[in-house]
Amino acid sequence: MGELAEFPLDGVERPSRQERIQSLRRRMAAIPARGEVERAAPADAPADRLLPVPEPLADVLPQGGLVRGSVVSVSGATSLLIGVLASVTAAGGHAAVIGHRRLSLLAAAEMGAQLQRVAVIPDPGPDPVEIAAVLLDGMDLVILGLGGIAVPSSRTRAVTARARSKGAVLVVVDGRWEGAQVRLDAQVSGYEGLGVGRGRLRGTRLSVRAQGRAFPARTTRMDVCATRTRTEWKHADRVDSPRRPVAL
Amino acid sequence: MEARGPRRFAAPTGRAVSAREPARVLALWCPDWPAVAAAAAADLPASEPVAVVAANRVLACSATARAAGVRRGLRRREAQARCPELHVLQADPNRDARLFEPVVEAVDATAPGVEVLRPGLVVLAARGVVRWFGSEEAAAERLVDEVAALGVECQVGIADELSTAVLAARRGTLVPPGKGAEFLAPLPISDLAVEPSLAAPEREELVDLLRRLGLRTIGAFAALSAGDVASRFGTDAVRAHRTACGHPERPPSGRTPPPDLTVEQRCDPPLERVDAAAFAGRALAELLHVRLAAAGVACTRLLVAARTEGGEELARTWRCAEPLTPDGTADRVRWQLDGWLTGRSRDRPTAGIEVLRLEPVEVVSAGALQPGLWGGVGDEDERARRALVRVQGLLGGEAVLVGVLSGGRGPAERITLVPVGDERVPASDPEAPWPGRLPPPAPAMVLTVPPSIALLDDAGAEVAVTERGLLSAAPAHLRWGSRGWQVVGWAGPWPVDEYWWDPAEARAVARLQVLLDGSRALLVIHTSGGWKVEGVYD
Repeated sequence: MGELAEFPLDGVERPSRQERIQSLRRRMAAIPARGEVERAAPADAPADRLLPVPEPLADVLPQGGLVRGSVVSVSGATSLLIGVLASVTAAGGHAAVIGHRRLSLLAAAEMGAQLQRVAVIPDPGPDPVEIAAVLLDGMDLVILGLGGIAVPSSRTRAVTARARSKGAVLVVVDGRWEGAQVRLDAQVSGYEGLGVGRGRLRGTRLSVRAQGRAFPARTTRMDVCATRTRTEWKHADRVDSPRRPVAL
Repeated sequence: MEARGPRRFAAPTGRAVSAREPARVLALWCPDWPAVAAAAAADLPASEPVAVVAANRVLACSATARAAGVRRGLRRREAQARCPELHVLQADPNRDARLFEPVVEAVDATAPGVEVLRPGLVVLAARGVVRWFGSEEAAAERLVDEVAALGVECQVGIADELSTAVLAARRGTLVPPGKGAEFLAPLPISDLAVEPSLAAPEREELVDLLRRLGLRTIGAFAALSAGDVASRFGTDAVRAHRTACGHPERPPSGRTPPPDLTVEQRCDPPLERVDAAAFAGRALAELLHVRLAAAGVACTRLLVAARTEGGEELARTWRCAEPLTPDGTADRVRWQLDGWLTGRSRDRPTAGIEVLRLEPVEVVSAGALQPGLWGGVGDEDERARRALVRVQGLLGGEAVLVGVLSGGRGPAERITLVPVGDERVPASDPEAPWPGRLPPPAPAMVLTVPPSIALLDDAGAEVAVTERGLLSAAPAHLRWGSRGWQVVGWAGPWPVDEYWWDPAEARAVARLQVLLDGSRALLVIHTSGGWKVEGVYD
């Protein structure tokens, strides 16, 4: 039996520190908030617990998608948001966009979004967070444009708990939201097809940085390219000279 | 037999004539209606000779064609030989009826209770309309005017009996009471068969036979004893004989009005507050749905109208993709009144609501709308719909929108936003060709109110788009507000000249893709008011 001690059985039987923390965090996330009925959430059915995202983005997310019940904060280029919207609705999910007037539904439709499953609330009144809380019950994806406000953590806790219990994903844009599980930041690093007085714009190159509470920051590059009738997401195949984007 | 015949036929009619007040009948006849309708459908002017043909025989022809010698019953070839410039059109009863409907409506609006004998001929009881307008002449004149306002020619006749009135209308005559037989007497015998909606198909043969027997006028036929006619010629001849004698016939039977589904509530005291109005709306919605259920229909388009004490009226039609439920109806009433009473819209009423009316504009038979057992509205869809309806309850029906792809050239006009629950109808046809439309990718960010920018060339002068759709100079700088960028790339311009035929909507613009140094690519648009940013490739 002494020989067996030489094999790295520890690594097989006992989870590493990192894995233990992750599993504990998952269990903490599953604990229902006060006053809410516990929802039977099978832990070993990850496919049901994920919302699809464009393929290049799935590679930087540890689960390969947005975990249902989580809050995601997105900043930077709008294309990323539209890509998520398109993938979720194309897979049969329902989505709502609150207070984000500038998001182009046409661009979403070109990426394959099903517009009949996208509800738009351009003017959510004085309390957009309240509207988001209502919509989390019934929608798979709620995109909430905060318009630059910072939401106090007392509010965010209640809404996060609601998202978790309903199994919806809340995407927060353009504002401060304490306690988002995943932060995505997309920057435009270049364009394709646009010359000096000729050509036409064919694609946008994005550099996406994903960072979560449960995983370190990763960066990837992806192309949003147009074909004849639609727009597709691709891995950036070559690295070109990075052009630092400047905010408008 | 000889002795009994007259008694059998004459006695009851004689009694009836003396017993009842002559019920005057008004007939309105649009001459050559099949030809008029066919010409209208084919966009031919009234002056062109037109003939409508069925089974290779002329069914009807216009007055100009008749002047050229075209007659009813002619072969098509012969009609064309008599009038070489004749427009020959096929008969279409549906077209005739469809185009006649506005005429019926116009007459019905003036004198209710219209019976349509055939497209082109209506009859109605003259009593009401004559009393209303004062005299028979005034009533006839008014009806002719109403129909003439639609651009249709017609003639009116009034007589004691329906058939007499129809023949009187063909001559534009008002026959005085009791003078029907006198009016008919000098008319040619062929007039008994002239109106197919009042004569049996064998009437033509009867008329032909009577003519060969030497009876050339209706009066001569009427002079025969009824018994002789009945024993010699058959049932249809008896009917023709009664017509010829001006004996009583059936009165016109007006159209049965469709069941009244409209519900209305008078509020006393008038409603000032939204919650009270919503409560009234809910009760009214329940009542409406009881009526709809009794009629076996479901409502897909609902008009909600409210009138205030001050006489202001707010009406809105709600189009729904699926039939309304009582809750859905109540919600729509609340949303509509909420915006009005709380003054979110500009025209806030000055007084409380006095009358609330729900009017189903479009109904479908309830059986046609059974939702599918499988593959219908799913659980998920239902959950999402309920959440959206709750938000509509919080913010109003117009606040929750859903997009539908529409036709157009710019990124903003290619999406039409409609309120959730309404029918998703695009503003223009997305399948139509839209030359000048930008190919994908569309800008990810669309600016609904395009901000103005300055696009400058090397020398600092404003770049313009010439009438031929070219840039006046290569753009070098772009100034947006207080900031400026170098332009390192651009493509276009793509000129679009829209609605140039309509001065109110005409719009000549040109779109340009601009790449800024170290920043984004923009979609800018050149309008009469200078350059503007329409979208950001972001």
